[in-house]
Amino acid sequence: MRGFQLFRARDSRHAIELLAQHGPEARLLAGGTDLLVELKSAARAPRIVIDISRAADLKSITLSDRGLEIGALATHAEIERRDLVRNMLPALAESVHSIGAVQTRNLGTLGGNLVSGVPSMDSGPALMALDASVILAGPRGERHMTLGEFFVAPRRTALAADELLTAILVPKASLGKPAAFLKLGLRKGQALALVNVAASAWLDSGVLKQPRIALGAVAPTVIRAPLAERYLDGRSITAETLAEAGRIAAGEAAPISDFRASAEYRREMIAVLTRRALQRCLTL
Amino acid sequence: MPDIVITVNGELRPANVPAEMTLLSLLRDVLGLTGTKLGCDVGDCGACTVLVDGQAVNACLMLAAQADGREVLTIEGLASADRLHPLQQAFENHAALQCGFCGPGAILSAKALLDGNPAPTTREIREALAGNLCRCTGYSKMIEAVQAAARALRGDAP
Repeated sequence: MRGFQLFRARDSRHAIELLAQHGPEARLLAGGTDLLVELKSAARAPRIVIDISRAADLKSITLSDRGLEIGALATHAEIERRDLVRNMLPALAESVHSIGAVQTRNLGTLGGNLVSGVPSMDSGPALMALDASVILAGPRGERHMTLGEFFVAPRRTALAADELLTAILVPKASLGKPAAFLKLGLRKGQALALVNVAASAWLDSGVLKQPRIALGAVAPTVIRAPLAERYLDGRSITAETLAEAGRIAAGEAAPISDFRASAEYRREMIAVLTRRALQRCLTL
Repeated sequence: MPDIVITVNGELRPANVPAEMTLLSLLRDVLGLTGTKLGCDVGDCGACTVLVDGQAVNACLMLAAQADGREVLTIEGLASADRLHPLQQAFENHAALQCGFCGPGAILSAKALLDGNPAPTTREIREALAGNLCRCTGYSKMIEAVQAAARALRGDAP
């Protein structure tokens, strides 16, 4: 790794001050599971690295009137182990559990996963299907936005160079909402998603309400499938309804072919996983 | 260069390290603890697994400076002068290693598991070892070894 100067941020305020001082020349280091890999192969190292991994105010997982707020630095392991998350947001617990291996989950953070902006991220679809938003903080104050607004392009988010992702908020209305996360990889352990799907829906006397479908690894960013959602909203549940929603969702994605899978295969799998994710919501 | 103090295998080790030095490089190149292996260097293979504050991490994905003030356990910290740790003994008894390159990492991942879960299921063991790649022995014998070590540590009959 090429040399850089390292600063350690005590808390989020300190991190924002350091970012204001060093701005675009600095990179933030949280869990390091992406950044260190990148820096090892980078031709040009950043001049400054700001280590935020000890900013204690960014680690808490708390329940408030607004919903469940997860500090950006909560690790995947901390999130998947927390009873609060397992009970109220099992789909999120499953999605972070599917990331990497134990070693990765002990270091990697939820904020880091989102900020990576990688289309195949696992936490993104689960959070999107739960209508989660992100809280960004910078010298101009705080900004809240939905994940749909946050994800801009592959590896690009709406985070400005002087801003920090401080927390992820799952709104109160989504706590306890039936939701499921399914991931298809080339193997069970330590695999990137070929396709991942999260779905959530309320069930009101046999009718689906507020359905959400989010897809990963099949478009430039994690996306919702609004046409499939609109199709399902207010519809009675039948096997054919769920299968049709899967087919519609497949048509809303823009998968690519690469060495892991072809676009055609990914599209087929979106239909299958969407149907299964919806089925699982209904049995919860 | 950051001045740091890390507890390694129970001993306080002050060090003055370049900012970009990984914990793996500190352990191997500065402290001479070469039981922790350099494999892929990008967090895929798990050969560099050590325990930091009891948790299994890839030492190649952590800066040495990030381990400041923390407790690190490497494979050298497991055995006592005249006795292998029950996990090491079980890996030997079950022939769970051939070339042995993945062994230190796999054994430390297993230790982190057993520290929190003295009676893991086969599935839990497989999950705990999912980040430790072995290219010669295979995993069945490792799983048997972890089960045997768990029994020994619980004081059950072997």
